[in-house]
Amino acid sequence: MSKITRRDFLKIAGAASAAGVLGYASTARAAEGGKGSARVVVIGGGFGGATCAKYLRRLDPGVAVTLVEPSTKFITCPFSNLVLGGLRTMDSITHGFDALKKKHGVNVMHDTVTAIDAAGKKVTLKSGKTLSYDRLVVSPGIDFKFDTIEGYSEKAAEIMPHAWKAGPQTVLLQSKLKAMKDGGVVVIAAPANPFRCPPGPYERAGMIAHYLKEHKPKSKVLILDAKDAFSKQGLFLDGWKKVYGDMIEWVPGAKGGVVMAVDTKKMVVDTTLDKHKAAVVNLIPPQTAGKIALASGLADDKGWCPVDPRTFESKMQPGVHVIGDSSIAGALPKSAFAASSEAKMCAAAIVALFKGETPAESSLVNTCYSLIAPKYGISVAGVYKVTEKGITEVPGAGGVSPKDAPDSFRENEAKYTVGWYQSITADIWG
Amino acid sequence: MTLQNPLPTLLLSAMCLAALPVAAADAPAPATTPAPAAAAPSAPPSPAAVRNMISNCYSCHGTDGRSPPGVIPSLAGKNADQTLLMLKEFKSGQRAATVMTRQAKGYTDAELEAMANYIGTNLK
Repeated sequence: MSKITRRDFLKIAGAASAAGVLGYASTARAAEGGKGSARVVVIGGGFGGATCAKYLRRLDPGVAVTLVEPSTKFITCPFSNLVLGGLRTMDSITHGFDALKKKHGVNVMHDTVTAIDAAGKKVTLKSGKTLSYDRLVVSPGIDFKFDTIEGYSEKAAEIMPHAWKAGPQTVLLQSKLKAMKDGGVVVIAAPANPFRCPPGPYERAGMIAHYLKEHKPKSKVLILDAKDAFSKQGLFLDGWKKVYGDMIEWVPGAKGGVVMAVDTKKMVVDTTLDKHKAAVVNLIPPQTAGKIALASGLADDKGWCPVDPRTFESKMQPGVHVIGDSSIAGALPKSAFAASSEAKMCAAAIVALFKGETPAESSLVNTCYSLIAPKYGISVAGVYKVTEKGITEVPGAGGVSPKDAPDSFRENEAKYTVGWYQSITADIWG
Repeated sequence: MTLQNPLPTLLLSAMCLAALPVAAADAPAPATTPAPAAAAPSAPPSPAAVRNMISNCYSCHGTDGRSPPGVIPSLAGKNADQTLLMLKEFKSGQRAATVMTRQAKGYTDAELEAMANYIGTNLK
């Protein structure tokens, strides 16, 4: 447990929000003067943004919340690997905003924020409109560093899809898997840390192998990894062997896994050691915080957004909170579950700040399930607190599924994988 | 993950607590005692902090603990004492589970008690 005392906490809280206190005066007065006058704009309708919008309204129906999201439907990255495996349809991973609008009174605008004016506390939209806010929540997910791999670009992603934002890219990768001949090699290029969904590329390998085993059993999945270790590694390696034999091969960075260049015409992937000819290439490029976060001076020189670990208020721009994959959230991974947990803490902190109160102690949780096969699930979990070192994992808690668990355990975790998806999507968009 | 047959688990839990005198130090202060300025890690969390903790449960157990039909049980309607027993048994590892054994270890006994009380009182 943390050795931080309550007094320390108040001190940190005071220091962290000292700059903001003057700024809150108008907001707090507005909130006191008449309910409904405190305004929050949320950018992004994904796991972070949609959760934050809903929970702001649940915690204080007097706060006016506007959610700006370009798409009228949100397609989740979680379970998009199951679409590739043939276990799910795109429809089943698509969620609308009706409940947020009608049930929770969120003003949802399908538009794009093109500029943030943190000093003037307003955002500009693509449509030309401007929205004023008392607090802004930025949850734009990730963007790609296409130019870090020679020959790769946004255009090249039409031939070698990343499928790391669910939607047309998922459908494209699926169509390429369906079109390939039996006996081909599917290359998955996995990036170095940090990136969205650390176990994602490896769940994908299993799901693609599941599809291939059923339809193209002479084919192979080759993971070219920029890293030498990955999330739930032991469990994945054991599971792959057990379910797919030698169908999946993982090449760590030190043994030639680092992808340097691609040739989209010849369908060749160049690593530090070898050239690999592939039938399908799924290239997951290195990532940064979402475009709007970078353009608005919210990110550091590495491209991610430093935040106060208690309130998720930006360390770069006061009055702006950054949650989800874009933020640097200490020990928390860039996962959907973590984004939603961060969003809940951020919403509670904003409501407290509007009332002139010190935000309550945060508690953050992550649980990431991965399917190796339809009846073979594994997980990693963690419980997190805010200490003097930022967001840290509670020692002795969390961790991965046991190594030598019986088949029934894996089957139960596969059931809970599906249960988790149902619950979290209903908790966010329901 | 069931509340059936509470008697054996009750007995087991009592034995477990008796065998672990350290647990007594984690016992929460009575609710009437004001929190000391320098709060010990096992002090009861504030109501707002408990609400923060509980809100994370909703990602699997559904908003306000009402889980969509399926394999994950709802928290709504659960009794506080039985919930606390389960949580403590998850924490000690006495009760088998997939992720709950790993989650429950992330909280002090005082926090588990506060969460169980929240579930019993607020999630109907």
